[in-house]
Amino acid sequence: MPLSGAFLQELEGIVGAGGLVRTFEGRLVYECDMHTFYKGAPDAVALPRRTEEVVEIVSLCRRERIPIVPRGSGTGLIGGAMAPVGGVMIGTNRMDAVLEIDLPNRCATVQPGLINLSLTRAVASRGYFFAPDPSSQMVSSIGGNVATNAGGPHCLKYGITTNHVLGLELVTGAGEVVRLGGKAADRPGYDLLGAAVGSEGTFGIVTAVTVRLLHAAEAVKTILASFTAIEDASEAVSAIIAAGIVPAALEMLDKLMIRAINEGTGAGYPKDAAAVLLIELDGPAAEVEAQGERAARICWERGALEVRVAADATERALLWKGRKEAAGAVGRLAPTYLLQDAVVPRSKLPAIMRELIAIGTRHRVQIANVFHAGDGNLHPLILYDDRSPDQLERAKAANEELLRACIEMGGTVTGEHGVGLDKAKNLPLQYGEADLNFMYRLRRAFDPDSIMNPGKLLPSHPACGEGFRPARPRVPDGAWI
Amino acid sequence: MAVSARSIGEAFVSIAGRDRVRDDTAALAAATVDGVQPRWAVRPASLEQLSRILALACDGRLAVVPRGAGSSQELGHPLSRVDVVLDLTGLDQVIEYNPDDLTVTVQAGISSGALAARLSPRRQWLALDPPGGAARTLGGIVATNASGPRRVRYGTARDLLLGVRFVQADGVVTWGGSKVVKSVSGYDVPKLMVGALGTLGILAEVTLRLHPLPEVERSWLALFENPRAAQALVERVVDSALQPSRLELFNARALAQASAESAGAGVAVSIGSVDEAVREQGERLKAIAESSAGRLVPLPEGFWGEVESAMAPLESSTVLHVASLADRLAGTIGAIEDAFRIVAPRAEVRLSGCAALGTLRVVVSGATAAETAAVTTRVRALVAEVGGSVVIARGSIELRRSVDPWGPVEPHALALMHALRDEFDPGRVLNPGRYVGGL
Repeated sequence: MPLSGAFLQELEGIVGAGGLVRTFEGRLVYECDMHTFYKGAPDAVALPRRTEEVVEIVSLCRRERIPIVPRGSGTGLIGGAMAPVGGVMIGTNRMDAVLEIDLPNRCATVQPGLINLSLTRAVASRGYFFAPDPSSQMVSSIGGNVATNAGGPHCLKYGITTNHVLGLELVTGAGEVVRLGGKAADRPGYDLLGAAVGSEGTFGIVTAVTVRLLHAAEAVKTILASFTAIEDASEAVSAIIAAGIVPAALEMLDKLMIRAINEGTGAGYPKDAAAVLLIELDGPAAEVEAQGERAARICWERGALEVRVAADATERALLWKGRKEAAGAVGRLAPTYLLQDAVVPRSKLPAIMRELIAIGTRHRVQIANVFHAGDGNLHPLILYDDRSPDQLERAKAANEELLRACIEMGGTVTGEHGVGLDKAKNLPLQYGEADLNFMYRLRRAFDPDSIMNPGKLLPSHPACGEGFRPARPRVPDGAWI
Repeated sequence: MAVSARSIGEAFVSIAGRDRVRDDTAALAAATVDGVQPRWAVRPASLEQLSRILALACDGRLAVVPRGAGSSQELGHPLSRVDVVLDLTGLDQVIEYNPDDLTVTVQAGISSGALAARLSPRRQWLALDPPGGAARTLGGIVATNASGPRRVRYGTARDLLLGVRFVQADGVVTWGGSKVVKSVSGYDVPKLMVGALGTLGILAEVTLRLHPLPEVERSWLALFENPRAAQALVERVVDSALQPSRLELFNARALAQASAESAGAGVAVSIGSVDEAVREQGERLKAIAESSAGRLVPLPEGFWGEVESAMAPLESSTVLHVASLADRLAGTIGAIEDAFRIVAPRAEVRLSGCAALGTLRVVVSGATAAETAAVTTRVRALVAEVGGSVVIARGSIELRRSVDPWGPVEPHALALMHALRDEFDPGRVLNPGRYVGGL
């Protein structure tokens, strides 16, 4: 859908020539996010600096019924920040100012393009931090974190993005600037703020975010325990939780992943280990000390091969090194992979690991696992060679089967990456027609003309679309005269 | 086509059984809300019954008022239409408790106390401690977004609600969220239901995140000459490595009711952790309190029970929920007390609040509706500067008629709320007119 010259001229009038990407090469940069499967370049990319410019862009697109795709740093993993049907992409990269830091009230207000880690860096010297820590935090934007309701290794204790967002300024699909929430708690009215976080740009574009800042923990202890069987590691996880310990992070790697990491970065995990458990505790020193000892003891009791405790920050970084480089390390095993993000109840970890092995065998694909064991959030990497169409098909089949297995165990199709284009088709696994219909109607309140990030977050199943009403319960006979 | 009252009543009976559909004088008097007597008091026994009752009510254009333990009946704009009071306490089952996952799914009518009894043998709990406590239903707590001192550490219902099954105004049973502790699949529908008074759907089941009970928990009370000194302590605690599980501020009147101590203001601090950490943090707290010109006394276990009764409203009391900012707390308390002193000198004002978050619960007795309305308006103007609010959480019909019980809502946000309400309950079946903006 090429945009008219007049439209582009109007767009340029809003953001200036320097804020508009029109060339083919320039637009190509924006054709996908980190899920490189899905490609679709926008017809133009606008890079506004101010809320007013965003309002004008949205109003212009609305007038012309041109789709809008919001984009932060493009580090999403779900095909969320790409333009399947073209249209105008609004990149928030130039909106990256810290608007206010208010330490007495422990919050900060920032523009959406600010990089996640930049905020923590801005307040670290005063002893504070911004808790959501997706692995992409060095490059991902806070606006993007809000859009996907991003998690991260430490959300086991601290919660995901939504638990840390106090307020939003949102330009809705109707072109209205609406302020949801704010520094003061308990605003009367529906929690539209809560609904907007994780709405993946389908309600509008976030132009400012007020987030909670937390006081940094006094002490941190990182423990690495390796096991000869993944069941033992899973049992250790359950035992730690049962002991009333809520670690800041509780991460697990399986045998294949351990091998890849050992061959790659040389994290030095024991060769015989079939599972590595990374436990991080933080809080007051005395608590961390006592709980750390107990967690280590639990690991020994569950038959750990080895338990290492980091003595200082350098050692801690070393223990995390392998985990952080996991996705890169699998490059040694296969040219590419499908990354999954499903969740099972934590207690189902041993069962789902057995199921994963069976699925891998059935479809003749290798599956390497790195996951947030503490909250049951799996990240299986299904390895394949993209030069072989057959391998890709098998990987896809394994992927679908895996999602189904997670749902059957009471889980969810995405724990922290989001839905995007990638998983829109999978939502019916988890939700019935009435549930999806409710979400469609919610979306329409914010975006009456369906211009905001079309095709994302919800499936385009006709039964869920416009005008559809789910079946109502039967009204007894005789109720009507 | 006209729908006759008699046939609707019979249809309710055919759905729920005769003993669950009451239209006798005593039952209707007990179910009266805001002085409006319903035509039926219905107590469904299952999700299916609830769904069919609502479908019928919707077709009959009836006004339905959901009710749990009945502790928030004096909240919101006074109702002018009440046809059915829907008593949800018959839906009181634990559907699924997964201690290893720290999650539980319950029917909305279960009481907080009954749930706690089920969880405590596993040393787990739901970290919500709203006033009125054990008797309240989970559905009521979620629908009114009620919270207590624990929110400083554990957050409120929005942070603990993972999934929700609700029945829309037209009877359609709908599910939102998930049953696991981490999920971002689709919109976060559960959040929309928190504090919505059932106006987007009546809560039938909730899935909640649980926490392990701390091994040891101890509390201390720091006493000060005035709220300003108390606020200074709060700031130092928050800016330290301490991790309090409660950090609750009291004015002199509340303090005198809840303890034998007499002081201008007090801050009660609870620390929950392993024994050595509690002891160590207690020492640090003592050092902070002493250097803040305060006096620290250890609290007996029964203190929080005393707080519960000290802050419980009398029959004629008004309860205001005031939200300001943490760094304005002392000023806000001063303004509230001053306003009552000027407007209603005979009023007794007990006040407690989650000091680190800037939220206050104000229990007023001995003030007329006009006096409380005047104070509400005054305090609203003050906290509006920081985007704060004053909500009448409990007040007489007269008070709630003379001043908006919710206060202003940002116009564009309110327009969206109207759009949602029009979409999901166009006939205004659920709690009509009661919510913000008369929704």
